[in-house]
Amino acid sequence: MLVIAELLAGLGLLFVGLKAMATHLQKATGRKVRALLRRATRSPVMGLLCGTLAGAATQSSNAVAVISGNLVRGGAFTTRDAIPVVAGGNVGTAALVFVAAIDFRLLVLYIVGLVGIAFHFKLDRRRGMAQWMGVAFGLALALLGLDFIKQAPRALDVASVAGSLADHLTPLLGFFLGLAVSAVSQSSSTPTILVLALMQAGILGLHDAVFIVLGANLGSGFAAILSAGGLEGTGRQLCYVHVLVKAVGCLIVGAFFGFGEVVGFDGFAALSAVGNDTASMSLSVLFLALQVAGAIPVAFARGLSEKFAAAMSPPTLEDGASRPRFIHDDALADPSTALDLAVSETLRLIKLLPTLLPDLDQKDNGDAGERLALWRGAASVGLAVDQFISELIAVGLARDSLEVALHHQALVENVRTLQDTLHDFTEVVEGFDEVPPLAFALSESLRAITLSLADATDGPADDLDLIIALSGDRSEMLNRIRRQLAATALDAGADARQLLLATSLFERAIWLVRRSAIALRMPENEDNPVRPAAAEAEIKRVEADAHRT
Amino acid sequence: MHIEREQVGSDVVLKVAGRLDTPNAKPFEASLMEVVSMTDGGIVVNLAGVDYVSSSGLRALLVAGKAMRGAKRKLALSSLQPQIREVFDISGFSTLFEIN
Repeated sequence: MLVIAELLAGLGLLFVGLKAMATHLQKATGRKVRALLRRATRSPVMGLLCGTLAGAATQSSNAVAVISGNLVRGGAFTTRDAIPVVAGGNVGTAALVFVAAIDFRLLVLYIVGLVGIAFHFKLDRRRGMAQWMGVAFGLALALLGLDFIKQAPRALDVASVAGSLADHLTPLLGFFLGLAVSAVSQSSSTPTILVLALMQAGILGLHDAVFIVLGANLGSGFAAILSAGGLEGTGRQLCYVHVLVKAVGCLIVGAFFGFGEVVGFDGFAALSAVGNDTASMSLSVLFLALQVAGAIPVAFARGLSEKFAAAMSPPTLEDGASRPRFIHDDALADPSTALDLAVSETLRLIKLLPTLLPDLDQKDNGDAGERLALWRGAASVGLAVDQFISELIAVGLARDSLEVALHHQALVENVRTLQDTLHDFTEVVEGFDEVPPLAFALSESLRAITLSLADATDGPADDLDLIIALSGDRSEMLNRIRRQLAATALDAGADARQLLLATSLFERAIWLVRRSAIALRMPENEDNPVRPAAAEAEIKRVEADAHRT
Repeated sequence: MHIEREQVGSDVVLKVAGRLDTPNAKPFEASLMEVVSMTDGGIVVNLAGVDYVSSSGLRALLVAGKAMRGAKRKLALSSLQPQIREVFDISGFSTLFEIN
């Protein structure tokens, strides 16, 4: 009973420790890892190195894949750039397996002691310390768990358990066991560390352990696909890159042992020799070899890897729509050009506004799923432009550029609100089984006005004046319509209430179109050279902030 | 869609019948622009025979309206059916054109 209890406690501590460590590491290093990965686009070697460092820093190849996926969706990376990074992330996770291979009991005691004392003196309240203390505590828990697992079989006749296991554990069974455990634990390093503990306890031999680790390696690739859930397009592509790294690693290392046997070369003896005849070190080397053997071909043949990933998960409409066409991080180095790029991106978003509305002129009103993807994509780019301008302002701009940037930021915020309002309006219109005449008039009117606004972004200033005139106050007319609807709502039920909501959203959208047209018109308005007082105050506030920092 | 053209004094009257929808918007816009470029007086678009107008139809009218505005000429609409008038009111287009 004590053996089972110690094994369970060891497993529990190991899982909790690894989870806590990964979570705190990602919080502590997340921004730095992100910054590191941004530099990874220069070459496959750089990508591989940055990915390895990121994998070591986060101890999670999934975390590296997720961060890379977000960078791809945000336009900072292409999938091609991200492939070596994801491949390198796997190599980095080998660091923990090497840590687990050394005798750490003394180290654990020191870590627990120091972290406990640090918590007692409330050092965790200092900026940045809490996460690192969490990392240390997680590591100590994981190592303590491993020690429990190693110590648990001492009450057993280890030799007879090992003998019995050797009789029943075939290479294929070991492989599938590793595959299953890694799929459940969503990690290849966790089952490897577990095998390592069993080897250190004398229960498993190197031969059996190799097949379990091979299975665990492949299984964690499939686990990444399972954990990707509803992720589609480019987000899912990197999961397939992950699988490719694992599968190629298994193929190459498996071939090393397989062909070795055919030509009379003992791969197991060679592995044992590389590990200095220490079973745990040999296993750590095997784990590293699996990651490197998978990562290098996948990273350097990234064209092929990209084709494979794209074939497995073709890019979605939302992927394309979420990608900024003009702004990119490197542009921040040249603020005046960056500002021009932000303006171009915003004008592109304005041109896309009509696509967020249903086309009631078409028999099927267009594809609702497509519109939703376009809205999500456009909203994501809108947020990116907003953040881009904020970063640009924080970098420090000349007074004239600052004025343009602040003015433009207000326009972007307006466009973002308009995107959301058009989406809400579309949802209301799509909610009707049969679109009532009033909803048709509202929807087609709004579509005509947004189409005209989109056209006006390329036209002369007079076109914007026309939009401003077109989007004038129509509250009196809409209030009259609402009063009529309210009178019938008691009898007409849900449709009338939906129509009431549609009129409100329509009015809001028109007001936002007007504000957008005015904002687009203002910088060229030579008749109105006097800067509004509010804008002047905002410029002074930002300049004062810049001086303070 | 059917378009009839008639000269009334210095103005050209276009009598439109049918649907001002996406397929008809381009030919309608082309007819309007042809009149804008070939004449120098005002244009009246009689919409009595139009029972449906979509965003594409409104946009075609706006394109012609902009050209007429640029040339300081008058583009008027006439004889709108009630449901068509409602679309023009809601869209704000009735503020851009003289409606008789």
